[in-house]
Amino acid sequence: MKEKKDDNGNIGSAPIRRREFLRRVGTYLAGGGVLAVGGAAATKVKGKDEAHLYWQIDPSKCIQCGRCETSCVMGVSAVKCVHALRVCGYCDLCGGYYRTGAKVLDTASENMICPTGAIKRKFVEDPYFEYTIDEALCTGCGKCVKGCSSFGNGSLFLQVKQELCLRCNECKISLECPSGAITRVSAPLAYRLKDKA
Amino acid sequence: MMKGRMDKKTAFSVGRISAAVLSLLLLLSCPALPLGAQSRFPRPDFESGYQYPELSYAVPSETVWGWIDVSVLLLLLCVMTWAVHRKRTRTPIIISSALSVGYFGFFRGGCVCSIGSVQNVALALVDPGYHLPIYVLLFFLLPLVFALFFGRVFCGGVCPFGALQDLVNVKNLRISRPLAKALGVIPWIYLSFTLIYALTRSQFLICRFDPFIGIFRLGGDFGLIVFGVALLILAVFTGRPFCRFLCPYGALLSLVSAVSVKKITITPHKCVNCQLCHSSCPVDALRPPYGNTGREESRTSSVGRVLLYALLIPLLTVGCAFLLRSWAPQMSLANKEVHLLKLVTYSEQHPDGTPTPEVEAFYAQGRTKEELQRSVDKVHSDFRLYGFWGGALIGLVIGLTLLSLTTRRKRPDYEIAQRECVACGRCFRYCPQNMAAAAKPVGSASVPSSTDTSSTPESPSQSI
Repeated sequence: MKEKKDDNGNIGSAPIRRREFLRRVGTYLAGGGVLAVGGAAATKVKGKDEAHLYWQIDPSKCIQCGRCETSCVMGVSAVKCVHALRVCGYCDLCGGYYRTGAKVLDTASENMICPTGAIKRKFVEDPYFEYTIDEALCTGCGKCVKGCSSFGNGSLFLQVKQELCLRCNECKISLECPSGAITRVSAPLAYRLKDKA
Repeated sequence: MMKGRMDKKTAFSVGRISAAVLSLLLLLSCPALPLGAQSRFPRPDFESGYQYPELSYAVPSETVWGWIDVSVLLLLLCVMTWAVHRKRTRTPIIISSALSVGYFGFFRGGCVCSIGSVQNVALALVDPGYHLPIYVLLFFLLPLVFALFFGRVFCGGVCPFGALQDLVNVKNLRISRPLAKALGVIPWIYLSFTLIYALTRSQFLICRFDPFIGIFRLGGDFGLIVFGVALLILAVFTGRPFCRFLCPYGALLSLVSAVSVKKITITPHKCVNCQLCHSSCPVDALRPPYGNTGREESRTSSVGRVLLYALLIPLLTVGCAFLLRSWAPQMSLANKEVHLLKLVTYSEQHPDGTPTPEVEAFYAQGRTKEELQRSVDKVHSDFRLYGFWGGALIGLVIGLTLLSLTTRRKRPDYEIAQRECVACGRCFRYCPQNMAAAAKPVGSASVPSSTDTSSTPESPSQSI
């Protein structure tokens, strides 16, 4: 705050000389201040593999509250459901595909969990079915994740898709996440995949 | 983890045993799979030769974009410095503004900006767990360093927020000086609160209440977009309301530019006191000549005033410091941990109500209330500490602003107040001396007639 002095405290008999002197002192003080703050912050700078650049969800903390869908600053959330196929049981009666208590197991919308029909099911061999996510349709609501974690292996989980994420300086979802699952991570941790742990 | 892997191996070796038996085995022996995945159902043993599809998750390289951003920042800063200090014309400044709005604003979505980088730098200074990216530090430092040497060239045409407001500005209706001075305290208050909330790891206020980001991203919080549009409409009639009365980074830049090595000047030639620069300035940064002749007040009253301020400024500083410190409990409610403790306490008192997702997650993570209480106590003490210093800063700024209202300085000519000048370059085209110098680069000192200014496209603005 010393720099302010030259702006305010110099009514006198020799204003120019004193003003000039104070201004120079102010310049050095300001320069010193910028150097000090910059230097102190520079010690905290890390390389590209360590710097915290990406936002990501920790699936072990996520409770599928559904706020990822609504809190993201983008029109359609950058959070999408991803599927760890190596964890999936390939069940016919899938907790992430059919709504609980569905009377008929068909693709009628009243029987499906996904509100946008983003989960695609493909017959592999008796009795296994492969489930994949159509990302263009997924809104990241986490309803299927909840179903899969409650009744299945938990192979469906939410992740921030890094090619969609705007990387806001502070993720709006992270502010509203009830479990603190969204944190800023470094590049090697940019995805937390269940089948690669 | 080890148990889980062993079980998978066993499962493979058993091979053809029916799925039911296998699932029983797995359920009995292996509850844990990586990252909390449960294995209620075994991994299938495909017989049709099914291959797991390989899904790849691309991580876009932020490093490349970071360096491109820094290069564009540096380039525009250099262009602005050249335009303001050497060339003294507005055209390159308009081009730089348009580039900044286009690139930093609409193309890059406004993140990360220098204004917001204040918070990252502050957080990095207190949080050992936070790793600051180098571009963010450069975004914080480069404009400050340029301001130290050349004044607020960053504000002029590099900052997308300033540039956007500047491009829509047509008229400059004047705000009375005392009001402008009073509003000029707001950036410091904003800065103090920003630092308090960033240092306590609570929130990034600048990012949360960013009025223009919704415009740049063509979507976002409705209230903030309305606020941003209102600011832009205001900016049509008076210069840069956000920069002057809100921007916390602008406050830092103004402080540094007040003592900058090279001052921004309208013309290298002698001022003819034509007043045109004064009416062209959208941010009212031009001070008219002032003679300071004749004593308007007695010696005793001026001594009394000095004594008053010598008492008032420390009093204001300490008063505001303790005031903000005493607000710590209210301010800390915006912190997630404090909010969580409130919710947990509430749900304990009302056990029959449905718990909020926050409380559910709290118990699911196996955290205890004592541990939460300890972390909340830490947050509270942080708020008291930083609230004290933030309050002291606010008090000091209010005191010095009051003091600056009472002093008047002798000025022979029209002079730029370096702290307020945002280097928009409008005065360059109105100054007859500067226009003459541009027309005749040999540097003749002849005083041109006032009709030279009639060639300028914009009409001199009104005064209210």
